Amino acid sequence: MLSLYALYAKMDLAWLLRDRTFAVLAILADVISNLSSVTGIFLLAWRFDGLGGMNRFEVLFMLAYTTVVTGIFQTFCSGGNTGHISRRIGRGQLEHMFIQPVSLPMQLATEGFIPFSGSSNLISGAVMMGIALHNLDITLPWWWILSLAGNLLITMAIILGSSYFAACFTFYAPVQAEEISSFVIDTFGHISTFPLSGMPRYLQLPLITFIPTGLLAWFPTLALFGKAPFGLSAWYPLLIAIVIWLFAVYFFRKGLNHYVKKGINRYHPMGHRR
Amino acid sequence: MPAMHKYTATALTALRGQTNGGLVYLLPAIIVRLMYLLPLMFLWRVIADGETDVGMTLTQLLTYTYVNALLSEMLVVRTMASAWNYEGQLINLYARPFPIFGQLIAQTVGEWMPMLLVFSLPMLAIAPLFGISVIPVTGWFFPSLLLCISLGFALDFIFACITIRLRGMAWLGHSIRMAVVSLFSGTVIPFRILPFGLTRIFEVQPFGSLGGASLSLFVGASDPMRIIIVQAVWNIILWPVAIIWFAQSKERLVSYGG
Repeated sequence: MLSLYALYAKMDLAWLLRDRTFAVLAILADVISNLSSVTGIFLLAWRFDGLGGMNRFEVLFMLAYTTVVTGIFQTFCSGGNTGHISRRIGRGQLEHMFIQPVSLPMQLATEGFIPFSGSSNLISGAVMMGIALHNLDITLPWWWILSLAGNLLITMAIILGSSYFAACFTFYAPVQAEEISSFVIDTFGHISTFPLSGMPRYLQLPLITFIPTGLLAWFPTLALFGKAPFGLSAWYPLLIAIVIWLFAVYFFRKGLNHYVKKGINRYHPMGHRR
Repeated sequence: MPAMHKYTATALTALRGQTNGGLVYLLPAIIVRLMYLLPLMFLWRVIADGETDVGMTLTQLLTYTYVNALLSEMLVVRTMASAWNYEGQLINLYARPFPIFGQLIAQTVGEWMPMLLVFSLPMLAIAPLFGISVIPVTGWFFPSLLLCISLGFALDFIFACITIRLRGMAWLGHSIRMAVVSLFSGTVIPFRILPFGLTRIFEVQPFGSLGGASLSLFVGASDPMRIIIVQAVWNIILWPVAIIWFAQSKERLVSYGG
């Protein structure tokens, strides 16, 4: 696995050095687009001295958390659409993976690794997080960083699990559902930038259960500061992540069985997709 | 009006293209629209409940966001130009006997219709239930909306030129555009409530004359004359840029995409 990571890192570096102009543009595009998407909420938090009981820098931390999560996703799951897996399925590209001498899970776990061109949001998010923590003026125990890492891992599991779960539709409706992973990831990502503190319970509860966007930044932020909402355990998101993955694995296998029998033929002989 | 027939036929084809598989295929777009609308509506309530002076009433904020959801396609126009360039289809438009911009505009207007009929119209009817006024505070909203749409097309064609220049990296232009426009158009967060004196700066930049400008007139949060003049000026500046740059870019169009 490590050798595959090293291989993809090498390929990513080669891409970066091959066309520096486009590489710089790609990195800037990532940073600009993500910072733009979180700036609006931070400006509101600044203007109104916090939002819904969260102070300015707690909101900044929450937005930094979102940015770091986006950065981790881009670093580990952006290459080859391994995160946006419905594209690979819908385009009939899983077949390409079947002929590789590496198992499908191993390919999915490693192929998306682009540490040089994809880590810009990880770095900018970490800087934002540092600024927020510095201004929060709190003393954190040494193990807090482990707790942060654990929360980030769980958040990633929720995003990926949701993407893979939704992508199961693509096995049966390849054209129509080709972009369903993007739909889920983008919509979840957008809603996750809203601090739910101060909002009514009938909005908060669905957003930490059925549509778990509140678990992608808001809940972990409060939990990391010892204020987990509704008196729930700080590890509640882990439970949701496990449930989502159980569904995702079950239906993905089912869809894959359908796929190997029916196939998805989207390409014309000349290379265009239907 | 035979001259108009080709445009109406294009628009109708685009309209049918959105609904060929049945109205159920509009459902994801409706869900996204609602998912974007709801948290913001509640956020305005949270802010209005605070002690700081917001600068706009809660009704104005709710109406602003609600009307944005109803008219979002018009407030920040997106044509198929960039996507078709990436997919190698844009060049096909040159085989048809009418102007490229005309085709793209007709296509876009046709694509607006299903969501306007299926989503916006019913939402308009139930708006009073949420305490939202669907009547604009000033009649200047309508000319402002026209200028906003016109500017939206000009900016879209300029972004298409950028996409043509970026060749295979078209998604770069797309990702920057989506994020920058959502912040700088003022459709999500009204400029009026921004800190650091950003209101004036954001109002005079070109994206500020898109949806945010018209919405601020709808809720009566801006001076109509100033908004209309700025919108007209950006139209006068950016349409020639779009026309000239697109003409210069067409030699770079590719016919093989995907």
